[in-house]
Amino acid sequence: MSDPKSGAGTSQTKAPPKDHKKKDEKKDEDLSEEDLALKQQLELYVERVQDPDPGLQKVALESMRQEIRTSTSSMTSVPKPLKFLRPHYGTLKAFYETMPESDLKKYLADILSVLALTMSAEGERESLKYRLLGSEGDIGLWGHEYVRNLAGEIAQEYMKRQSEEAPIEDLMELVQQIVAFHMKHNAEPEAVDLLMEVEDLDLLVEHVDSTNFRRTCLYLTSAARYLPGPDDMLVLDIAYTIYLKFEEYANALQIALFLDNLQHVRQVFESCDDLLRKKQFCYILARHGIAFELDDEMCAEDSDREFLQDIINNAKLSEGYLTLARDIEVMEPKSPEDIYKAHLLDGRASAGASVDSARQNLAATFVNAFVNAGFGQDKLMTVPPDSSSGGSSGNWLFKNKEHGKTSAAASLGMILLWDVDSGLAQIDKYFHSNDNHVIAGALLGVGIVNCSVNNDCDPALALLSEYIGKEDSSIRIGAIMGLGIAYAGAQNEQIRSSLTPILNDAKAPLDVIAFTAISLGLIYVGSCNEEVAQAIIIALMDRSDSEFGEPLTRLLPLGLGLLYLGKQESVEATAEVSKTFNEKIRKYCDMTLLSCAYAGTGNVLKVQNLLGHCAQHLEKGETHQGPAVLGIAMVAMGEELGLEMSIRSLEHLLQYGEQNIRRAVPLALGLLCISNPKVNVMDTLSRLSHDTDSEVAMAAVISLGLIGSGTNNARIAGMLRNLSSYYYKDASLLFCVRIAQGLVHLGKGLLTLNPYHSDRFLLSPTALAGLVTMLHACLDMKAIILGKYHYVLYFLVLAMQPRMLMTVDENLKPLSVPVRVGQAVDVVGQAGRPKTITGFQTHSTPVLLAAGDRAELATEKYIPLSPILEGHVILKENPDYREDS
Amino acid sequence: MLTVSVKWQKEVFKAVEIDTSQPPYVFKCQLFDLTGVPPERQKIMVKGGLLKDDADWSTVGVKQGQKLMMMGTADEIVKAPEKGPVFMEDLPEEELVVSLGHSAGLFNLGNTCYMNSTVQCLHSVPELKSALVKYSHSGRSNDLDQTSHMLTVATRDLFSELDKSVKPVAPMQFWMVLRKKYPQFGQLHNGVFMQQDAEECWTQLLYTLSQSLRSPGSSENLDTVKDLFGIELASRIHCQESGEESSETESVYSLKCHISQEVNHLHEGLKHGLKSELEKASPALGRSAIYLKESRINGLPRYLTIQFVRFFWKRESNQKAKILRKVDYPLELDVYDLCSDELRKQLEGPRQFLRDEEGKKLGLKANEKSSGTKDDDVKMTDAEGSSNASAEPSATTPQEGVPSDKESHLTGIYDLVAVLTHKGRSADSGHYVAWVKQESGKWIEFDDDNPIPQREEDIVKLSGGGDWHMAYICMYKARTIAM
Repeated sequence: MSDPKSGAGTSQTKAPPKDHKKKDEKKDEDLSEEDLALKQQLELYVERVQDPDPGLQKVALESMRQEIRTSTSSMTSVPKPLKFLRPHYGTLKAFYETMPESDLKKYLADILSVLALTMSAEGERESLKYRLLGSEGDIGLWGHEYVRNLAGEIAQEYMKRQSEEAPIEDLMELVQQIVAFHMKHNAEPEAVDLLMEVEDLDLLVEHVDSTNFRRTCLYLTSAARYLPGPDDMLVLDIAYTIYLKFEEYANALQIALFLDNLQHVRQVFESCDDLLRKKQFCYILARHGIAFELDDEMCAEDSDREFLQDIINNAKLSEGYLTLARDIEVMEPKSPEDIYKAHLLDGRASAGASVDSARQNLAATFVNAFVNAGFGQDKLMTVPPDSSSGGSSGNWLFKNKEHGKTSAAASLGMILLWDVDSGLAQIDKYFHSNDNHVIAGALLGVGIVNCSVNNDCDPALALLSEYIGKEDSSIRIGAIMGLGIAYAGAQNEQIRSSLTPILNDAKAPLDVIAFTAISLGLIYVGSCNEEVAQAIIIALMDRSDSEFGEPLTRLLPLGLGLLYLGKQESVEATAEVSKTFNEKIRKYCDMTLLSCAYAGTGNVLKVQNLLGHCAQHLEKGETHQGPAVLGIAMVAMGEELGLEMSIRSLEHLLQYGEQNIRRAVPLALGLLCISNPKVNVMDTLSRLSHDTDSEVAMAAVISLGLIGSGTNNARIAGMLRNLSSYYYKDASLLFCVRIAQGLVHLGKGLLTLNPYHSDRFLLSPTALAGLVTMLHACLDMKAIILGKYHYVLYFLVLAMQPRMLMTVDENLKPLSVPVRVGQAVDVVGQAGRPKTITGFQTHSTPVLLAAGDRAELATEKYIPLSPILEGHVILKENPDYREDS
Repeated sequence: MLTVSVKWQKEVFKAVEIDTSQPPYVFKCQLFDLTGVPPERQKIMVKGGLLKDDADWSTVGVKQGQKLMMMGTADEIVKAPEKGPVFMEDLPEEELVVSLGHSAGLFNLGNTCYMNSTVQCLHSVPELKSALVKYSHSGRSNDLDQTSHMLTVATRDLFSELDKSVKPVAPMQFWMVLRKKYPQFGQLHNGVFMQQDAEECWTQLLYTLSQSLRSPGSSENLDTVKDLFGIELASRIHCQESGEESSETESVYSLKCHISQEVNHLHEGLKHGLKSELEKASPALGRSAIYLKESRINGLPRYLTIQFVRFFWKRESNQKAKILRKVDYPLELDVYDLCSDELRKQLEGPRQFLRDEEGKKLGLKANEKSSGTKDDDVKMTDAEGSSNASAEPSATTPQEGVPSDKESHLTGIYDLVAVLTHKGRSADSGHYVAWVKQESGKWIEFDDDNPIPQREEDIVKLSGGGDWHMAYICMYKARTIAM
């Protein structure tokens, strides 16, 4: 049984008798007078019950019943009447057998059933037995403990009868009663547990009411994480039904998104007829980052629908983000030097500033892009040419070498992130460059600007599709990667039909094919699309032996894996096909598919499977352990407990694993704690950042950036600063340190890379896909990130989201209200109305939310339309609110 | 006639008319009037495609009232600058050294850190370098033996190689020649070369160079090494028993800093080192007696080498054991009170001049400050001024760098330029490292092949008292003034 509480509950009821037996005899003498009287009274009743006179019997039974029911002693000790009746349990039982069928016999059965609560031997289930033989009266009369005990016995009995295929009708009737009792008495978890045991959760829907459905659903949704499939889906379905029944549409929508069931999403829109709430739904959909088209059944009014669709398309995301930035007063652009803070370091800072280093300029380009992401202004790329500082954008662009210019031009897209209109205007001039690298960067930049923003005119598609078929492979990659980023999750047919031919084009170079596979994987993320899968499989089969050794080949299996992201069993057919691949890639593909398919599920069996692969010591040349290690993180990141456990397992891998495993471990840690700088992980990574193996150190440094991404965490910033002086002459490691510094100050601390949102309940598939792609590229740092494909770092843009709470009024204008922000507390199954946050501070919106933070309104004046205060939340005036006088 | 709305950047042009009988180019010209973007730079997006200049409106499928999006600017197209920037990655190695700001490290060839650190310290003396450059193969005088000549050549080549490369240098040739010249450095222990005393290497190397770098042709018989490093000592030898007194002069290449219980500072150690007791036959007494020898500096070098006498022969363990005592040394050393009276007189003038110069600077600063602030600030500015002055030398040294400039005068004040440290418990074990001040004023720790930048304040922390690197040989450069 998954829930520890009910398990503990049943065992408690059985434990006391043993303790008490010894004490009983001793205590007998020193009973108080009152107790003695009670004892004698009860003994008298027992005798009377055995009296042949039915009248007397009845009176005795009634009195006994009375005594038991009125005994209101605490739950922790055995009620006195039960205690005193205990020696007579055997007698009564024996007598019961001799009694003829009658009402009295049923009465006695009732009492025996209660007595069995403390007397019955383990596994006998006598309480249940006598209950079934008894009078079937109101079950609650005998107290809460009795019902709990009964529920436990029913669960056991049910299992037994299931195996014997015996009828269960009588049990189910009892279940009905118990569930009704539990639901009425704030014991929703017990009710849910019992129903799960007897596999009849549907019953729950009848029993929930407006007072207890929230607690019930909360319990259901949290329990779902620990249930094996397909039970988890079932449980969530019930929760969805309940939410829908009580018109808690926003909650229902979240469960629909968790189930990735667009049918349910539709249903939510169709059932709700409040436009304001629909707007809130759209905000939730927009944060989740799935493509969703509204039709007239979901919203009849054309103008309204357009408005709603705009919200889903994130058209106003840039505006909201900039409002937040202005409120927090961080609009001032920052230069890479502001981030490096070299003045805090001793004389070790780079000695020769006289000569530009292409590698360091490239790092500055990325740092600049990450730090000023979405702000629309910076100090390198968007500076107007006439400014006196002399840092005209053209100049900085040309301070990068060859392929570095691609990343530099694309960084403009990052700076103008989500602001399609001005972004395109600024990037336009680079389209007319005569340098192919610059054009490639411009194409990529267009893709980045359009990331998670959809526009009616599809500017990205219009611009980029022109360049897919060009000669120059860097231009092609720019266009293809741009499409992948702009249309991630969109499942756009037009793009598919233009990209799939490239995969199977014998003349296309490997890097173009690799990026095509990734882009298709991103566009069709989690769709299980057959055609795309086929195309990638064929592309994989067509690779020559030598190409399997190429670092970029690893992106092909990953593209395939992304198609099945989080889709669990659906991957199996493709996984079978992958067994026929060339043995050089077979296992790599296997691991990638497995880890993608179970990403975010927290499936313990899969984690074990992956750990098993990591435990082997391999012959040379096999590379599949890297993705296996990443896979552990991908699967385990779904749920808090598993996450902690896998951090510990990764520590073991670090000690016993081979070098290729050790290189992947920091990256896995980075994924597990993304944008969530846990101190223990920070320490581990800090230690690894000085590892003798430079690739381990590089991965650790990048991961330090990942766990601190967008947090401005002072400790990580300090560590990285020291690393920058430690590695001042190792250009490669210094590059990684710079990237990590940029990540820590991502969006000046306003952004997060965490793919989880809505109280860590929902996982945005596109965000995870972007992260995983970047991490897979990091598995071969030297060839990809430090080589000429450094722009894969821009895949992170898919996961970038403002970590804000922005409250808006009914016209969607920002509305500042006081909110309490504090550490979230798990309140599942707790009695009463527990506090949901601890150690809170009161701020006024918009506010930033750190990992593990939760916000609640500190005013009664408004009612939020979303149950979870994250991202954009619409506030409605509370009609019952009265100003305190 | 269709009317559409066109979105361009943040603007929306409503009700733009399209004449469907004309090619889209005409429409673009219309937009040119509105936006100022030339038609060839316009990109008009129609449902996931671009509008071509010669497309047919009927196939494009534009609907009445549709929203179109136009991209394009009239901005200047960015052009690559005529001269691209030069990247460090593309530079040839020699130029890279300049940008790096320090010379290369030396590979350890197996317990040769004593040699590496010695070479690095001596390499920091520009005058020695230039003297070596002048030394030629043919310039060998007849009285110089072959191995000395070879060692000098090897030193010259190694120095120039160090200046040219960024990557660490393997001093193979030098190492071989050194071993040939001084076979004691070739001692083996368990089949590997033994660690040696860096001081020995330093002395021997300097000795060889002093032999070879004498320019015999010139009338003065100039000894470069002596000129650079030689210290003239005038000693008074006095026997307390007999009252005999004699004096003698000698020339040494380094001062010793003796370390005893009372010595906490370099200065005390030096004073200690200049006094010694010796036992010799006294003609007056007819037996050997204790003589007290007191030395004073009579002539100062450009580079003052100070050796901390940290090692003593420990008979029990049969090795050179080390005194770990902490002995502080300053970044700026004044040896005035170690000098003889005549020398003091000579130094008087330049020192006064130096003081005046500093005073002027200070006074100037003090004036500037006090003009703006209150009088009670003067004290503080004083303190600031003096700290400024101590930080100054790095800036002033280049002008004094010219050797044998008749007009430059020694002042008896010296600035620390190189420290050779030892880490470990005995001279024949542990690790030697050179800490050298670069011309840029930055300190570099040369740990064999690995040069690491260091802070100046960390350099004076190498004074011992623990198991960290501690100074063994310090090299000070004279602060001179032109008069």
